[in-house]
Amino acid sequence: MKKLMLALVSIALMATAAMADATEVKMKIKAKEKDGLVKAKVSISHNMLTYDQAKKKGVEANFISHITATVGDKVVYDASTSQFLSKNPLIKFAFKGKKGDEIKITYTQLKGEQFFATKKIK
Amino acid sequence: MKKTMLGLVAVAAMTVSLSATDYRAEKPDAWTAHDVPTAIKALYGEITPADAEIKLKAPKVASNGGAIPVSLKTDIPAKTVAIFQDANPEAAVVVFTVPEGGVADFALKIKMKKSGTITAIVEGTDGKFYSTKLSLEVALGGCEG
Repeated sequence: MKKLMLALVSIALMATAAMADATEVKMKIKAKEKDGLVKAKVSISHNMLTYDQAKKKGVEANFISHITATVGDKVVYDASTSQFLSKNPLIKFAFKGKKGDEIKITYTQLKGEQFFATKKIK
Repeated sequence: MKKTMLGLVAVAAMTVSLSATDYRAEKPDAWTAHDVPTAIKALYGEITPADAEIKLKAPKVASNGGAIPVSLKTDIPAKTVAIFQDANPEAAVVVFTVPEGGVADFALKIKMKKSGTITAIVEGTDGKFYSTKLSLEVALGGCEG
């Protein structure tokens, strides 16, 4: 029983640690509502180094592997991405939402580090 | 004692449900596949997608292969949308999960090493698959060689 508890506690701790890991960064976010539909544009500064490019430069590949957008606790955009997104990726998407809510964009790098930015929907 | 346990379980469960599907972790083979059919097979299994109204847009001739604007829009109630191409060493580019009641309207910029074909697959909420293809020329390769 005690062991189980410990395991659970460690799992919970790990989970919270993983969530707290996200660092706030600057992103260009535009989100505008019209007739209940929010159109969002997000630009992330990231060099999106592919395996080939990294090999040439003699550094490790590093690219965004996952992008999620949430409003409150609802996921409105979710993409698993590969290294073939352009450098400084620009993404556009639409979802049903309303003015005044806060949109949060989180991206995960290849090694698991997370970064996020927030913006109010106009 | 039991209550704390339950609480902890709830916390753990919540964290799990908050994170959306990570197709990199779930289907690792799809991301290392070198050609489009293999990647599609790794991601969705054996499927025979039907042609459908999927608006896939990209320039006919891309001057800069490092940033090709690609947009995709469909009225099909979609569960997932995937984009592949056959110009780069690996085929998969992106897999979107369309949230419930969401809108399948995406645009992004991708890299392509040389001229090739972009394939989009839409997995409908009805469990059927739809696809469309688009060939384009790349004047200057992306990926910097």
